[in-house]
Amino acid sequence: MTTMTRSQIEILDPATATLTLSLDVGLYPRDVLYAAAYVFLDRAYVLLDRQEARFVVHFRSKRPVDEPALRAMAGEFENELLAQALRHQVVDANQRIIEDVVAVAIAGAAGDAPGDAPLEGVPLIDPSDPEDGFVADPLGIARPWEPEKQGGE
Amino acid sequence: MTSPAGDTATVRLHGALYLEEAITEAAETFAGLASFAVRADGEHYVVDLSAIARDVDGDVVAEFCNFALANTARRRRSGHA
Repeated sequence: MTTMTRSQIEILDPATATLTLSLDVGLYPRDVLYAAAYVFLDRAYVLLDRQEARFVVHFRSKRPVDEPALRAMAGEFENELLAQALRHQVVDANQRIIEDVVAVAIAGAAGDAPGDAPLEGVPLIDPSDPEDGFVADPLGIARPWEPEKQGGE
Repeated sequence: MTSPAGDTATVRLHGALYLEEAITEAAETFAGLASFAVRADGEHYVVDLSAIARDVDGDVVAEFCNFALANTARRRRSGHA
């Protein structure tokens, strides 16, 4: 089993509710490690360390746990590493798009979005044209459907 | 990891994984529950805790470590590191 290139359980002790995992530093970016560890902060005490070419992750559950629960925690952490790695990859790939969308939204809210200038000061509805805007009601949408209210029309 | 003895403890946090500002921020958060002294020692930051309040619910030392990790993650995500 090639354990030195993947994560592995170093210590699993239900008596002290502790679990120690190690993983190769090249397996995931550090930000992925932080993000995955962050998810566990509400149910475990987490301490990160580094020993040579491996990250070491110490967990101590905040509640008493048995061995299957600790093994499940190890599996969940590995799943979380994968999920966060994918998320990291997607954010990296779409960073430019995200920045552009946010920039346009902020510029629009500030009223200086590019492309606004040609419409500035131009009325969007021509009041003299009955076919323009909401004045015309060819489908009768504005007419009340209740008989007692139709009399006022 | 940690070596608690009475109302003192020592925590070693790896400098490649924890930001000093994040550790300091966590120490300020827990200032009412212990006294903190942070120093660099090789690759690690060594945090000496003393006068740890023992009458509080929870593990002050371990919660401090969680805060240091959370602060580091938050600062790195927001581009402070």
